[in-house]
Amino acid sequence: MNLFKLVTSNIFRRKGRFAFTLLGISIGMASFVALLSIGGNMQSAVKQQAEGLGANFLIMPENICIYNQMAIVTGETISELLQYDVYDSVKDIDEITVIPHLTQKTAIRELPSVIAGILPEETLLFKDWTLAKGEYFTSQNGNAAVIGTGFATTRELNAGDSVTVRGEELTIKGILTETGGNDDMTMFIPLHVAQRIFDKEGYISYMSAKVADMTKMEFYEAEILSVASVQVATNDQLLASVLSILGSVNSTLQLIAGVALIAAAFGIINTMMTAVYERRREIGILRAIGGKKGFLFKIFLLESGLYGFLGGIVGVVVGYAVSIFAAPIINRDELSMLKGVSAQADIDIHLVVTAVGVSLLISIFSGLYPAWRAAQLTPMEAISS
Amino acid sequence: MSIIKTENLEKIYGGKSKNAVTTHALRGVSLEIPGGAFACITGKSGHGKSTLLNLIGGLDKPTGGSVFVGGEDITKLSDNKLSELRAKKIGFVFQSFNLLENLTALENIQTAMLFAKNKADKANELLALVGLSDKAGSKPAQLSGGQQQRVAIARALANNPDILIMDEPTGNLDSQSAEEVLEHILMLHKSGKTIVVVTHNNELARKAEMVFEMRDGRLLT
Repeated sequence: MNLFKLVTSNIFRRKGRFAFTLLGISIGMASFVALLSIGGNMQSAVKQQAEGLGANFLIMPENICIYNQMAIVTGETISELLQYDVYDSVKDIDEITVIPHLTQKTAIRELPSVIAGILPEETLLFKDWTLAKGEYFTSQNGNAAVIGTGFATTRELNAGDSVTVRGEELTIKGILTETGGNDDMTMFIPLHVAQRIFDKEGYISYMSAKVADMTKMEFYEAEILSVASVQVATNDQLLASVLSILGSVNSTLQLIAGVALIAAAFGIINTMMTAVYERRREIGILRAIGGKKGFLFKIFLLESGLYGFLGGIVGVVVGYAVSIFAAPIINRDELSMLKGVSAQADIDIHLVVTAVGVSLLISIFSGLYPAWRAAQLTPMEAISS
Repeated sequence: MSIIKTENLEKIYGGKSKNAVTTHALRGVSLEIPGGAFACITGKSGHGKSTLLNLIGGLDKPTGGSVFVGGEDITKLSDNKLSELRAKKIGFVFQSFNLLENLTALENIQTAMLFAKNKADKANELLALVGLSDKAGSKPAQLSGGQQQRVAIARALANNPDILIMDEPTGNLDSQSAEEVLEHILMLHKSGKTIVVVTHNNELARKAEMVFEMRDGRLLT
């Protein structure tokens, strides 16, 4: 017989109450883990996608809102457009390499799909793409396309296949080698074809640009603004503003997780207070046969801590399961501003340890008052109750 | 030399507020019990027997007066010191057995040993002493009243205390079980333990070396 055995024999005595209290803390911890995991994965996915743009900075329509900036990073359609003439004006500035994009959304093989109109030759040089299958295309190919690996896999497409977009047949010439960014989930077609198919003749969505010397960004920006009314943002600036949105989303998720944890904490307090009340006689017996106040305090605190430890472990497992299942659902959600972010649920050991630690701390903290109440009972009070 | 001594013990139950109803349970009780004695406290219900026993055992604090156990005034001890005293020097046996329901007979004895840091393997010997070796794994609900009280006696002996305090140890038992328990009490007395028993059992009282009769919170003898 030891203290731990005494504690476990108590905690498992009322199996129903044990299960329900454990469920409370587990649900709290599961939402904590799921929401933090989803939030963290969205941030890392956005960072990865921003790197995948392969540009030093972006040239976008003037006064573009932050949600459209985010759409560019996540490879989505943006509502504000630039005149194609702007590209002609900017491309001639010294030390700047620039390529235009017209991103539009349509359905291919019944899946929402991003189609980007590009200048094939310029974009190939800019992005250093290589091909995994088939061959690249040129502007002269007409209704031709290359697609990212993810795009090909999810839609079961191969080089040589054809797809129909808004009534026009496009032939897939090749599949790009994986880039790790949005390009993997995009279909690229010649810019003039995209403009015609989507009725956007004379327009582009934005431009990616590379410069010879990043320390001269202010100079380049002034040069660009002198020839066109546009907005210029470096990759880092864009990322920072997108991450600030995700940061506030994360704060909201953390707040929800916090509320769930507080509810779980009150569940533990309630269970432990009931246990103290029900076990007054037992407390009295232990005090009568020599148990000190500290011993009784330890028993109830350990019981409470055990709830937290077990609840933390169950919560982490359930939380990750939820975030793994939720990731593709978030991706599919057409109404979500986070659409397009490939939120994969990666197991983060730091989050696992934090979650179990937080659960343990909350439950120990919740157990303090009930344990103190148990320790304050005198042997006579308790035995005669 | 007396191992237990009380001086002018007073105990008043009731709240401190002005209109609270109070009960004067003990009125100036003084007694001495020598080491190794078998003492009985008798009297009608509600006359202060159990109150006196609880004060001697350090389970409760008196309103006035002193209790000396082994020469030490236990009314002046801190809560922790009093717990140590109960763990090491005093064994308790209650009328309603007061075993921990979720533990086996053996574990009940071992739990008491936790408080004096004794080796738990002695618990089996104690169960053998009360003739319940075969019930080591039984929980209280699986034992008869007499068997439960014998487990309680074994638990009281867990830390080899000098004093055994028993409150109506045969009160909840049938005559045969009461007789068995009585035999164990006498055996313990012969082994040199000081035994203080509150009882209505005349046979038990007749076997005692000292009998204290109580009426209205006072000792008659």
